Amino acid sequence: MNAPAVTTPVAASPDKEPGVNWADKRYLIVDDFVGVRQLLREALRSLGARHIDQASSGGEAIGLLARIQYDVILCDFNLGEGKSGQHVLEEARIRGLLMPSCVWLMVSAEKSVEAVMGAAEHQPDAYLIKPITEGVLLTRLNRAWQKKQIFQDIDQAYLEKDYLRAAKLCAEAAGRNKLHEIDLLRMRATLLLKAGETEQARLVYEKVLQERDFNWARTGVGKIRMANGENEAARQMFQGVIAENRFYLDAYDQLAKSLQNMGRIEESCDVLERAARMSPNSVPRQRALGATALKLGNIPLAERAFRKCMQIGEYSIMKTVDAYFGLARVLGQKNDAKEALLLLAAAQRDFSGSMVELRSKITEGLVYHESGDYRRARKSGDELETMLKEDSERPDTATCLEMATLLFAVGVKDAPVDLLCYVVRNNDENTVIHDEVQRIFDKARMGDEGAALINTARKEASEMMNKGVLLWKTNKLDDAVEWMREARRSLPDNMRILFNSAQILISHLQARGYNDALMTEANDVLMHVDRIAPGQQRFAQLIEQLQKLIPGRMSAEEIEAELTAAMKDDHDKE
Amino acid sequence: MEDRAGSPELFMFLASTVHDMKNSISVLTGTLENLLVQAGDSAQDNPAYPQMAQMLYQSKRLNDHLIQLLALYKEVGRPNYPFDPTPVQVSELVDQLVAQQRVLLQSKGIRLDTEFPPGLIWTLDEDLVLGLLAHAINNAVRYTRDRIALTIREHDGLMEVRVEDNGSGFPPNMLEAGQVTGQGINFLTNSSGLGLYFASEVAKSHKHRQRQGSIALENGGTLGGGCFILRLP
Repeated sequence: MNAPAVTTPVAASPDKEPGVNWADKRYLIVDDFVGVRQLLREALRSLGARHIDQASSGGEAIGLLARIQYDVILCDFNLGEGKSGQHVLEEARIRGLLMPSCVWLMVSAEKSVEAVMGAAEHQPDAYLIKPITEGVLLTRLNRAWQKKQIFQDIDQAYLEKDYLRAAKLCAEAAGRNKLHEIDLLRMRATLLLKAGETEQARLVYEKVLQERDFNWARTGVGKIRMANGENEAARQMFQGVIAENRFYLDAYDQLAKSLQNMGRIEESCDVLERAARMSPNSVPRQRALGATALKLGNIPLAERAFRKCMQIGEYSIMKTVDAYFGLARVLGQKNDAKEALLLLAAAQRDFSGSMVELRSKITEGLVYHESGDYRRARKSGDELETMLKEDSERPDTATCLEMATLLFAVGVKDAPVDLLCYVVRNNDENTVIHDEVQRIFDKARMGDEGAALINTARKEASEMMNKGVLLWKTNKLDDAVEWMREARRSLPDNMRILFNSAQILISHLQARGYNDALMTEANDVLMHVDRIAPGQQRFAQLIEQLQKLIPGRMSAEEIEAELTAAMKDDHDKE
Repeated sequence: MEDRAGSPELFMFLASTVHDMKNSISVLTGTLENLLVQAGDSAQDNPAYPQMAQMLYQSKRLNDHLIQLLALYKEVGRPNYPFDPTPVQVSELVDQLVAQQRVLLQSKGIRLDTEFPPGLIWTLDEDLVLGLLAHAINNAVRYTRDRIALTIREHDGLMEVRVEDNGSGFPPNMLEAGQVTGQGINFLTNSSGLGLYFASEVAKSHKHRQRQGSIALENGGTLGGGCFILRLP
């Protein structure tokens, strides 16, 4: 999902928009109960609304949303069988069916844990509790609209992943809007975390906490401590939040992570299980629970979690192939290889992408191996080796390590060695991964040979990069860009190569003038970085530099200031 | 682990029943309000009019009680109500209350006066506090002669909300119930206890700098009748 970085800047709008004209807007009402639809329609009509459409199910709503652009959506959270209101919202956002200005009001019979405490990524603009009266509806509509106006530029910068600019905009807006100050500060802290500016984010949380003890701010401080490796301190903070508010789900998910980091897998599993009981309809949580239970060998729990994950996924755009692979492993450990294979076939039918085929084959091998059918496991291994030869694309690091482990276990030699060297080249500075690779070599009784291989692979990667940097420093910008393209082709996930590629492309744009193709290339490189390793400081800094290069983005004074600074920089270098 | 399996299913069943009931009450209340508005002021002499107004009052009470029961049930069997304080413009809180009660008050010929500091922003759980104050006003509808006053002010670091009426005041047993709230005494034996208990729980869940919200009942006040007071830190 590449967010387009190249977009025309949105004109700054005034914060206050007195008297929104609700009569001319287009409305969609989604509720499975005809009486409620009629009532909501009456309420909207009393605001003067004329264009009102209705849907009685999530599927019907998606159909309408795909064809018509609505200004306001009133959607029931609980739509009976099929998609829930949250599913409809997620799907509409992810498929880009909503205009940025669209206001989404989620309606529910009661305040549910999911609705308020859901660590859900996709939140509606407001929640309304039944019965809905005109007065409440109008107040909340106006408020949501005003908030949209305030967040407009921030949301735009966020979509462009220019987290630092978005964070600056939040700080400015917070000074002007007393009512939304807390929301803006919360957003600012989130953005700073995404930009890898943990220290600044901590200051924002602490400032908020001086005012009031918000759960999200305490959880935020805990996340920062966890990121700094203080897992025990973080664990205590999350536990404290839960003691105060038993439903703050985000704290459970974070608590589980901190326990996992300390190797306390069993406790982590218990926490996830408790959170899943409170809010069972989250795909990521059930997936995490399944994976943790599988790690512990708690087969019944893993099976329940993966099955639930698939069941929720049926109506959700968040559905994941991981649940299929996880359940297949569970079935393998229950000696039901036949059922596992059926599931893998289903995974390949329901999901697309070449990695699905490769990962199915890995899982198949693991299923055979774990159920004791070594002959078939070896056959899967051989087939995997052939697949690797045919396609040079490789999955992510974790999958590569899993695959190498399996291949060694079934007796294949060359393919896992190549895979492990590839992993090391892509992570030439990550000693944690080197240790893991070394352990896999040790287990395959290739300890010394492995150590030498790791060393060579690291050197190869760093030589490749040094050459690119040398070309750049000697101002051979075209050659440097070309060399880095080549480097990325052979090492697509090497963080240093990716960052330096982006840096060199930006230098080229700065020195030789704006160029659409290079801009897109730099953006693609950075989006790839954010996908494989989000939350990096250098990512945010490079994105900010890149955004400033978009024509029309900076004011004349800003360009002047940048140029002066750049010239001064050049002088300093000389 | 397996023995718990029955309980989530029962809960799902109850939750969907509640969902249905809330839908029915929404429709009932909404339809009554629409009918009363359509009938207009000219219809006030029609004998059916006050009866419809009474129906509206009762359906609002039903809704309030359902919300309260739900919160209480959840506290016993399940996670209690998710508490979600946010900064709220006090004028908007008043707007919503006035709009909610407009038709009922009009149909009963009751005047509602409001007074509040225009720029005041307070951090509170908007839906819970709205529910609590709507119930207090509904209660005042029962006791008042023809006037209710909703007054909000900031005092000593607390936001104080008063719902006053010009009726003959709360009966002694209710005042008593009001006094013991927050002292841990079980006053659910009292007929008005549920509403007060709920209000007290909501008030208490608002905490800030070692202070806690509270409720109180008095007789007298500016209108000389009953007076419900909510204080939030």
